[in-house]
Amino acid sequence: MEDLELLSDFSSFLKEKKEEGKKIIGFISHDNIPEELFDAGGFIPLRLMFGGNDDLMTASHDFLPPSTCAFAQSCIGLFSLKPRSYKFLEFIDYFLVSNHCVSDICASEIISKYFNIPRLNFYISYTKTNNSLTYLKLELQDLKQNLESIMGSKIENEDLLNSIKKYNNFKKKLLEFNKLYVKGSEKLKIIQKALLFGPDFHPTLENIIQKYKENSNDFENTSKDVILTGCSIFINDYIIDLIEEGGANIVFYDTWIGNSYFSQIISDDLIEAEKDPLNLFVHRFNKNIYGDHSVPNFLENKIAQILDMYHQYKQKTGKKLAVINHIIKFCDHISIMSSFFKNKLQDQGIPVLNLERDYSKANKGQLSTRIEAFLEMI
Amino acid sequence: MIMSLMADELVRFSSVLRIAYNFLGGRDYLKRKKFREKKKLISVALPFSDLAFIAGTVPVFPIRMQIFEINKYLRYLGSASNIFGWNRVSDFLGFVKNLGIGELSKLIDDIIDEVIDTINKKYNEMYDLGIESGIPSDFCYGIKSLYGMHTSKIKNVEATLNFTIRCSAWNKYLESLKTIENTSQQIWIDIPPRNIGNSLELLTENLSKAVEKLELITGKSVSDNDMRTHFQIGNQVKKSYKTILYEISTSDFYPCNPATFSEILALLSITFQDYNSDAKRYAENLSFLVNEMRERIRKGIGMDVSKRPKILVTPMFGGWPPESHEIIYELGGRAIYADWDILYLLEEIDVSSSSNPLEEYARFLLKATEHGIGCDNNTLTNSYVRIAKKIDADGLVFIQLFGCHSVSNCYTMLKEKIRQDLEIPSIALTFNKIGENVEQVNTRLGAFMEMF
Repeated sequence: MEDLELLSDFSSFLKEKKEEGKKIIGFISHDNIPEELFDAGGFIPLRLMFGGNDDLMTASHDFLPPSTCAFAQSCIGLFSLKPRSYKFLEFIDYFLVSNHCVSDICASEIISKYFNIPRLNFYISYTKTNNSLTYLKLELQDLKQNLESIMGSKIENEDLLNSIKKYNNFKKKLLEFNKLYVKGSEKLKIIQKALLFGPDFHPTLENIIQKYKENSNDFENTSKDVILTGCSIFINDYIIDLIEEGGANIVFYDTWIGNSYFSQIISDDLIEAEKDPLNLFVHRFNKNIYGDHSVPNFLENKIAQILDMYHQYKQKTGKKLAVINHIIKFCDHISIMSSFFKNKLQDQGIPVLNLERDYSKANKGQLSTRIEAFLEMI
Repeated sequence: MIMSLMADELVRFSSVLRIAYNFLGGRDYLKRKKFREKKKLISVALPFSDLAFIAGTVPVFPIRMQIFEINKYLRYLGSASNIFGWNRVSDFLGFVKNLGIGELSKLIDDIIDEVIDTINKKYNEMYDLGIESGIPSDFCYGIKSLYGMHTSKIKNVEATLNFTIRCSAWNKYLESLKTIENTSQQIWIDIPPRNIGNSLELLTENLSKAVEKLELITGKSVSDNDMRTHFQIGNQVKKSYKTILYEISTSDFYPCNPATFSEILALLSITFQDYNSDAKRYAENLSFLVNEMRERIRKGIGMDVSKRPKILVTPMFGGWPPESHEIIYELGGRAIYADWDILYLLEEIDVSSSSNPLEEYARFLLKATEHGIGCDNNTLTNSYVRIAKKIDADGLVFIQLFGCHSVSNCYTMLKEKIRQDLEIPSIALTFNKIGENVEQVNTRLGAFMEMF
């Protein structure tokens, strides 16, 4: 079921921002986008983080072959079909083409070209060397200049630093929320909403945290605890329901809609010490060693991270965790490593389910069976 | 039979026999280089072999480390050529054929048929191995095959030369080679995604670091002259390649039957990736090939193709239905393969004494990124159109490779540009694996060719 209320609220939020004269920059929700730069320039970042369905995927086939990442397909489908509840996408003034993966490039380019949304570019190197960091700085400067030229005014360092601090505090709050023992689906909904609205959601988030703290014993978990890694679960995706109906509770979202986002906090010391705030983004990119964009150490870093989470959780709760590796069909980054990822973790005694799927309804039954069978085994 | 070459026509192209033999006999050649001459092997794919040549290592497109079933007569020819030279062997074959000794002629036909058939079978074998070894079946033919090629052979190479490009599956595939047992060192060259600011300088430095790593492998240092010498040879290869593409393939008279011509182009496309591990030999072979083609045209040996529409079939380097050019030929057309120029990888590199050769190589790579492989599909489709114009194509067959999210997923955008800029018919063929969907290819190409 679509969360119509959330979409409607978001639509009103954007409308309000537009009325204030703000311009909206859409982008496909992945790593390394400097949303603080948008914020400092007076733009509103709009992440495309909406789950797909059969119609959306099919609509994209006018532009890209069906063997394209199902999420990228759905993003195109949203612009092509313009579903009523997503009318707010018409508010987008600019679309950022970035290269998190090649499907990101292609889908963003199509959205910009065929739906007449002016394009901005922001490309990132695949490796993490001194030169790729220097290159990132070039891209940041280029993006900043383009934003300034749109707005007709400079983005002052002070404003940028304030935005960075604002997002930092927001992420810290999300980290605090993430530590609460909350039912997985509830946690996900709040994380999704937070990422969608950005720091404007901060006060609401504080209230939510307070509420959960006051009712800390409400959640009695009888399910099996799992980490969700791989591809994010986007808004209105049914997969979270299938996982919970199958008997699992996600205790940790090791995905971009989750820990990979809010764990990327820039230290206060660095903020104080750095004269050029653009360098802070470079620093953040360099520290983002678990992001799936980078090569050549993604797999080993990711395995080390999961092992660390597993052991910490076991030490803290005495319980073992299983891992669901969520693979959106035709996702290059997650899919190609999936069998190696699974083998390496299973060698360490950690059960892993490589859950590959697209957004079609027809797969629901099969997915449920796979989830249930996996959970029975652990 | 997949991709049968017209041996009658090929017998006088001794250079093609050489290129084929050097490809198929790669394993013995590489063993000799590695164990007798103590040379270091470096795995390369796509036409990114230059640095390996420059450093004095031996670049190898990994399928060539596999054992190919080489027809015993081709093996004999190869051995004979070592003693008598290829020209004399070829003359002998032509003589035998002209005498009409049926049995021997048949053998020659078989040899050439088997060459191509063998390559395709090996590709499919590697594809299966790639999947068995853990690459999901959703990935493109090229990536699955490349991983398969490395599984048992990566231990033989000192390093893999890894250039990042816009295709994320490619970059991740390169990382995934680390999962193979006894894997080798990885040397990464990050190509900046866009040519902005001092990207050229950054890429030059990245290349320089890669050269340093290669120097550590060989224990020998590389001079600017070494670089220029190699780029000069590379330029010669590219010149010959472009002559074949633009002078011969666009002419009204072909030095052979058009299906054979397409197969020569296919063979060049495959072997261009590592120059069959010997740049000088490859440049000579290509130069011979150009001369042989021109000579035949001059003598009027070959076929009038003036009435045959030129069909650009692309992209094919990552896998394509090899029967397509035969079908196009049978239906009155001629298929042309020109992928490497579409991707701007046939551009020559400035080797003047005043230039910094590594910077010139960086410039070449950035240009390929900027205009060829492209930052996005808009650039890439412009390049498809550019080459279709350059060969004055009458039609375009676009190979939509299953699982490819990069160079072969842009047909919708391309179709529009073809309609606007070229006004020629085009069609997309889906491809997954060699030998699959032959009927569909037949039917669709049949319908397409009726338009001419």
